Amino acid sequence: MRNGGENRGRLLVVILIVSALFLITLDLRGVSVISGLRSGTHTALAPFQRAGSVIISPVKNFVNDVTHLGRTHSQIEDLRKQNQKLREELISRNNQDGQIAQLKSILDLAGKATFKVVNAKVISQGSSLAFTRTITIDAGTSNGIKKNMTVISGYGLVGVVKEVFANSALVMLATDPSFKVGVRIAGSQQIGILAGLGSINANLQLLDNQTTIKVGDILLARGSINNQPFVPGVPVGRVTSVSNAAGAVTQSASVRYFTNFGALGVVSVVVQAPSADPRDSLVPAKPVPTPVPTVTIFVTPTPSPSPTTN
Amino acid sequence: MLIRRFSITSAIFLIVFILQEAFVNQLNLPAGGFSIFLILTLLWSALSTPVVAAAVGFGAGILLDLSPSTDGPLGHWTLILVLLSYAISFFSYGDENMRGNPLSLIFMVVMAQFFALIFYVSSGFLLGVSATGFVQTMVTLIGSSIWALVITPLLLPAVAWLHDLAFDSRLHI
Repeated sequence: MRNGGENRGRLLVVILIVSALFLITLDLRGVSVISGLRSGTHTALAPFQRAGSVIISPVKNFVNDVTHLGRTHSQIEDLRKQNQKLREELISRNNQDGQIAQLKSILDLAGKATFKVVNAKVISQGSSLAFTRTITIDAGTSNGIKKNMTVISGYGLVGVVKEVFANSALVMLATDPSFKVGVRIAGSQQIGILAGLGSINANLQLLDNQTTIKVGDILLARGSINNQPFVPGVPVGRVTSVSNAAGAVTQSASVRYFTNFGALGVVSVVVQAPSADPRDSLVPAKPVPTPVPTVTIFVTPTPSPSPTTN
Repeated sequence: MLIRRFSITSAIFLIVFILQEAFVNQLNLPAGGFSIFLILTLLWSALSTPVVAAAVGFGAGILLDLSPSTDGPLGHWTLILVLLSYAISFFSYGDENMRGNPLSLIFMVVMAQFFALIFYVSSGFLLGVSATGFVQTMVTLIGSSIWALVITPLLLPAVAWLHDLAFDSRLHI
């Protein structure tokens, strides 16, 4: 009796394993029922993720600040003085104010490049268990979004739409290690390939061995055929260091993305690119140094007291 | 009885899955963060019989595969969780030294999660799922294990109580 029960148990386990293998095979063969199931789950989860995004936003911001404490320590020191001054003003602002600011900068960028965009809120960050860098946005096919469309923030490139569902879409971030984008250097127009490294920095590999690159150079997306997956002219990042390894065929460089991927609240999907390449018109303006006023001190000698006679 | 067990277990897993997707995934925690859903599945399996554990692993795996943040094909997590859930239950069920000792359970769940992620990455490589670099993978693996070591003791009493509720097993840890 006991052996019979054990045998039935083992048979069930074998059936479950075979079922899992069967599902993998069906998915890899692209059976539409499977993608329909995923799409359905995505649609069902979207309202929960949206609600979670609203509730978790303050906690997320706090955690984000804590985890970036070491890296941005010097920045925090500089900003602390400004924060003190602005604290009273900022205390009345809420999360929506930040999103409006992000939206405005995106619209400024999109307007300058005459991109036709669809704005979307970030409703979920990708799971770490997937080992990829993704976000979920609350706009999908019903908003005109298709696979392989460029996603931008107010600062520049965010990523590419990887999967689209009815009311949401999965975006692969530019920080994903499998992400690659053709770029050109603003001004010199030299071209190269930028690859994500899983962090805010990326690796640039130039294509021409005659090309030279220097720290501070700005990279723009080179654009793809039919503007998919990349529209041309989108700011990508700034060169932070150049590698001149002996024996290397071409130069490589480390690049820091313009977009702060840890604080993405609102993004835009470029649904239609302009007919003409915006060239270097989207290059972000260099910060203007604030002039320090020169203080001139005039010293007037005071007359020494003269002795008085009585 | 079977329907009652199935209903309670399904409801618990569905609620935790929604909590994971709607809240925990959005915390963007350092070093990979944690998955309360994965920890729940492994803890539940450790407290169940091997056959129940395999069935639980199958259901949980399907849910994880349907998660919007999962990159692999449907059935990828299912296969891994069926095998690991069965394995963790096989080693712990019937051994009161293992099941009755919370430290042993926590150690087993943390190790199981570590191996689940290793299997996911390695089998994902074979299935053509894009993966991050070696260093990043190692950081995530070790980071997730440390997170699991912190979270599992907090979840253990609640999971044991819920398991007792569903299976009426009078389990005392």
